[in-house]
Amino acid sequence: MRRATTGGSGAPAIAIREDGETLALEGALDVRTLTAAEDDLARRLGERKPRAIDLEKLSSLDTPGALLLCRLSGDKVKLTGARPDHQALLDLVCKLDLAPLPRHKPMPRWRQVLVQLGRSTHEAVLDGRDILVFLGRALSATAHVFAHPARLRPASISRQIADTGIDALPIIALMAIMIAVVIAYQSVVQLRPYGGEDFTINLVSVSVLREMGVLITSIMVAGRSGSAFTAEIGVMKAREEIDALHTMGLDAMEVLVVPRILGLVITLPLLTFFADAMGLFGGSMVTNWLLNVSPSQFFVRVHEAADHNDFLVGIIKAPVFALIIAVIGCMHGMRVTGSAESVGRETTRSVVKAIFLVIVLDAFFSIFFEKVGM
Amino acid sequence: MTAAATRRKSPSALGEGRGEGQPILEARGIVNRFGKQTVHDGVDLEVKRGEILGIAGGSGSGKSVLMRTLTGLKAPDRGKVTIEDRPVDAIHDGEKAALIGVLFQQGALFSSLSVAQNVMLPLREHTRLKEADRETIASMKLELAGLEAKDGAKFPSELSGGMVKRAALARALALDPRILFLDEPTSGLDPLVASGIDELIVELNHALGVTVVVVTHDLNTIFGICDRVAILSDGKATVGTVEELMRSKDPWIHEFLHGPRAQAALTARHKHDGKR
Repeated sequence: MRRATTGGSGAPAIAIREDGETLALEGALDVRTLTAAEDDLARRLGERKPRAIDLEKLSSLDTPGALLLCRLSGDKVKLTGARPDHQALLDLVCKLDLAPLPRHKPMPRWRQVLVQLGRSTHEAVLDGRDILVFLGRALSATAHVFAHPARLRPASISRQIADTGIDALPIIALMAIMIAVVIAYQSVVQLRPYGGEDFTINLVSVSVLREMGVLITSIMVAGRSGSAFTAEIGVMKAREEIDALHTMGLDAMEVLVVPRILGLVITLPLLTFFADAMGLFGGSMVTNWLLNVSPSQFFVRVHEAADHNDFLVGIIKAPVFALIIAVIGCMHGMRVTGSAESVGRETTRSVVKAIFLVIVLDAFFSIFFEKVGM
Repeated sequence: MTAAATRRKSPSALGEGRGEGQPILEARGIVNRFGKQTVHDGVDLEVKRGEILGIAGGSGSGKSVLMRTLTGLKAPDRGKVTIEDRPVDAIHDGEKAALIGVLFQQGALFSSLSVAQNVMLPLREHTRLKEADRETIASMKLELAGLEAKDGAKFPSELSGGMVKRAALARALALDPRILFLDEPTSGLDPLVASGIDELIVELNHALGVTVVVVTHDLNTIFGICDRVAILSDGKATVGTVEELMRSKDPWIHEFLHGPRAQAALTARHKHDGKR
């Protein structure tokens, strides 16, 4: 008589006894002992042809175990001595008509790349069209509201200004100061060998006023408020609140999108002005430490280095960036479908797209202002 | 007689082999508070091996909180829960997965995995089965829960409400748990699908010998399949068979089990019994 056991101490074990034409199972036949029992039984049934598997001493049986026994049993092999509860389980499992899980044929790598490329291009084209369409609808709704000033929602707009503007002041201040410090520090190090470290003040003032102030503010606002627009509108979309608005005869464009666009178009230039001021303050701190230029001297030099054009170039861009951020944020919010994960996906896309477009537009602005001589 | 009633009155050799009637889960003096609001004020509950126990109560009576406490997802503010004589918070990992299976109200299927992958996840984490065996077992569980193997390739977002419940049930059954917790298994389903789920619960309870704790306010489930019912009101649980509870003097329980909807469910039950 041969005996085989599996499993260590404490773990469930199964023993198989060979007794003439009968294989007697003893112990537990469940997911933990299944693999061992399966191999062992297959080998023994292959070697000789036992007529029966005896289950009398089986202490426990689960569905995978029952499935194994069902597969082994048949015309030649009988299951005997099963306890009533084990028999009930065997009856249930044996009558199931099991089909294998469907498989997908994997696509070759090169085709995947090609398909992905085509799909992304197609999506980018559709996206571009969607942005233009939404921009048009948003502007038309805004024009409509201005034509009927009673529909302007001052309370809603002022809430947006508070959320996107006032709450953002501390973080914008910190970012603007830090960026100015970085620019000033690098300039001093690079210009000192030529004895031109005084020009640090020119570099800081021109780069902060023309580019850095508005760019840092826009990127911050895209991350902070653009994402909030998408999430707020997206959750409303997912919970059918937008549909509820429509059934009440309200236009979601007018109620949700226009106040956000107007709020941000008002806020972003103001935030940019604030960032400009904070940036110059940061620059004056660095020049005070490294070059012993007092803040009052610094600001006198700023007046010589930068003129009102530099300031205007920065400020003019702000409302355009605000429009882009608000439109992208609201558009992606409206694109949300029922599920919670689509809110997350659209929020990510909205932030990435808004920052991307802000930087692309900024490049075009640089060329444009150079051409018009500002 | 309903299937549940049959089993209750004639303990068969089937039940004895599984040790039916012995307590498998005990909750003593459960107190749960949220801020100043006391949801449970000393709930005592005993779940017997092999039974279908319903947990019912009005909205906000703490049905789901009680289920979270029984499964060890939430530690009670006072009192203790033991499953098979062990405190529930001392049961971990694979052991817990093999002991309890939970069907959450919304299904809680992992949205990034297909239905079959959802079912195979506990098998992959807690057993050392071969890939082919795991797939066979997953296909069997789907079949047991009333789905087809081809549904295994679908993703949770492609399923109807009834299929979500069945797929989640297949996942809850993955490791052949000894207790199955079902949170509102029939909510949001049309009556036909709901009674299909009820029948499935009875069938699994009978054939697999799995103990079922079902949180529900579906009166058809309560009258149709539950061996015993625990009704939560005023922070306490009143436990008994439906017949016992119907004689209760407690005004809320009386209203709950004698209201117009309860009468309709009761009539349906009698008609059902008559046909058998």
